[in-house]
Amino acid sequence: MMDRGSIRTVLIPVFAASFVVLSFGQAMAKDGDGDKGEAIYAKRCLQCHGEEGDGLGPAAERLNPPPRDFTLGLYKFQSSAFDADLPNDDDLFRMVRDGMPGTAMPGWGDMLSEQDMWDVIAYIKRFAELEGTPEKQIDYGSQVQSSPESVAAGKKLFLADDRCSECHGVEGRGDAIKKLKNDNGERTWPRNLTKPWTYRASNDPKDIFTRISAGIPTTQMPSFADPKSKKKLSIEERWHVANYVASLPKTEKVVRPENTVIKAVRVENELPTSPDDPAWDKASPTTFFMLSQIVGKERFFKAANDTISVRALYNGDKIGIRLEWDDRTKSIPGDAKAESIAEGELLEDAVAVQFPVKIPTGMEKPYFLMGDAAKPVTLWRWSSGTTEEAESAAILDAEGIDQQETRDAAAGFTAKGSYKAGTWRAIMTRPLRTEAADKDLQFEEGRFIPVAFFAWDGSNGEVGTRHAMTTWYWLLLKPSTGAKPIIFAVIVALLIGGVLVWWARSAAARSRSAAS
Amino acid sequence: MKIPRLLQAVLVLAGVYFGFIIVFDVILGAVIPASLLAMYMFFTTAGVFMVFTYDEDQTRELVAPIKALVEDPSKRLWRNIVFAIVPLAAGGFTYVQMQPSFEAPLELRTIHPAPPSTAKIYGKRVNLLKLENPLRKIEKEDPEKFRELVNQGAAVYIQNCQYCHGDKLDGNGLYAAGLNPTPLNFQDVGTIAQLQESYLFWRISTGGPGLPKEAAPWISSMPVWQNFLKEDEIWKVILYLYDYTGHRPRSWEHE
Repeated sequence: MMDRGSIRTVLIPVFAASFVVLSFGQAMAKDGDGDKGEAIYAKRCLQCHGEEGDGLGPAAERLNPPPRDFTLGLYKFQSSAFDADLPNDDDLFRMVRDGMPGTAMPGWGDMLSEQDMWDVIAYIKRFAELEGTPEKQIDYGSQVQSSPESVAAGKKLFLADDRCSECHGVEGRGDAIKKLKNDNGERTWPRNLTKPWTYRASNDPKDIFTRISAGIPTTQMPSFADPKSKKKLSIEERWHVANYVASLPKTEKVVRPENTVIKAVRVENELPTSPDDPAWDKASPTTFFMLSQIVGKERFFKAANDTISVRALYNGDKIGIRLEWDDRTKSIPGDAKAESIAEGELLEDAVAVQFPVKIPTGMEKPYFLMGDAAKPVTLWRWSSGTTEEAESAAILDAEGIDQQETRDAAAGFTAKGSYKAGTWRAIMTRPLRTEAADKDLQFEEGRFIPVAFFAWDGSNGEVGTRHAMTTWYWLLLKPSTGAKPIIFAVIVALLIGGVLVWWARSAAARSRSAAS
Repeated sequence: MKIPRLLQAVLVLAGVYFGFIIVFDVILGAVIPASLLAMYMFFTTAGVFMVFTYDEDQTRELVAPIKALVEDPSKRLWRNIVFAIVPLAAGGFTYVQMQPSFEAPLELRTIHPAPPSTAKIYGKRVNLLKLENPLRKIEKEDPEKFRELVNQGAAVYIQNCQYCHGDKLDGNGLYAAGLNPTPLNFQDVGTIAQLQESYLFWRISTGGPGLPKEAAPWISSMPVWQNFLKEDEIWKVILYLYDYTGHRPRSWEHE
């Protein structure tokens, strides 16, 4: 159930983090037995990494990022120097033990013994005949602890000469204007540095320093320790950048599994009409995890968006929702820059909010993927538009993923988007009640209303059933509680106080009469 | 030194309360629902009250400190303090209780609903009571071929199931965090080890939408796999689930 799941989701990163902390700088590489490792590999690793270690297991096509090809002997997350010819054994051990957050690679530390993992590593190294230890290591100098000064210095270096922002964007959201590929020719996207849970090898400043110094082999992330680099950084400068990058994550973007309710706040005046209006801050955001649409035909395995943050406001007539999600690309078909970085055909970015047509009275909800025949849903959809056509708002009546009808912005529905530094904000407003009660949800204060979200990244080939999605969560129009609680509290306090005083007095009177 | 009876009673109640919290929330990692805890504590309080007021002497001893506080003129300062705090605390408690709850509605769920005796799967009416994995017998007849089938099941699993149920079959795939209810953990002894292969076949092929009426609240995200996989692929993936975890399917023979 939810409780158990949420505890697990909280604890696993904590354990992983403590492992990471414990493992720093420890030379603990052990000899493994490759022959024993072969059997473990066959059972646990082969399905993704392939019988020949070439990363071409049966799942390769459907994984993003693709499984590592061990025959190259190149690893992305190495702590040996950028010009070393192989990674440290400890680097491989960490990847096996802790896994790769944000990918299909799990951490094996809770299933395999330490010796098992070393055996597997010994076997994996055979694919590229890796032997010995790297000759050059990263020079960490002395670590500069994070401080406001160090973070500020790091920010300057991050932006100077477009050093890091060239790919990672000025606010670190990976909203590059470059089309990146790895050595295999596969499309890669620069890390969104504000999402720490997608860092493959932790966002501890020391790990970030390691990435900046060694680069990420096989990708276009270069080493900034390379003396030949025009953008080279000294050791101290790299610590500043690491501290800055580690400071980027914003807590409101982190998914809190226990937060399943969007609380719409009641306002007395008009709802804001701009996505960037500070009035939206009256409502606190709730962030949800998004997954690829892998449930209905045609399934899609590589959605780009992984979270969406939602706020809602309402007044006597209308409800307004603001959706906020990071997207590396502002996908406006026809736009030359957007066309040049898109993967495949450039399509519109879009987002949709799904409600049941009727607020369920029992626990039974419509099917979370666009409803079913017995229980239809209504979707509010916003699309970014093209250079020819403006952004658009539409209402979809759906009874399943292949049963949808589009109504033009009916029933006073409006939507508007704005893009800035790697983040889309889209707002949608609709009257609380409409004429078409058979198709439109009629909102009610104080009721828990199921709500789900869908997002399409047009630069990632997402259209139709290819999208990111959530399961059902809740929207609540938070009623104002009025003065009732305080009145009752005062009454109870007075009553109990009165009884106590009466008790003490009567006791005192009794003892007086007993004394006399 | 003898602990006053009143303090004893309070200590017993506190011990029970924190005992529950430690056992359930900390050790077992399953947060105990507040309503259940309230029910336990109600019965515990009633029990403690009965034991401590078993006869008149004990009752007198129990209430003596309270009586003294109210009646003893030398305790006047303490009485005033307590008489100020108690109404305020009661008022505060009322205020908090009167606040409307904005917690999500509790959705209790039957994890393994009883299967219907028959189900329509792949267009056929199947008797689930008699259904067996047609590939299971190969395990004894031809271990080499069986290994091959398990490997084919592994490929089906890794292409379709690991996104949610995880590479390690522990219910912790990449998308698990976005799903409620969370995907089933097949390593757990409480899941496939308790079930027959026919049950798995039914749940896999009909998915969340195939859940029976009593399996509220019908929000499983499990796809309807008969729309995506062939019948023998489902039987193979079932072989793989048991093979990888080391569990054995339940069967009528062993019971």
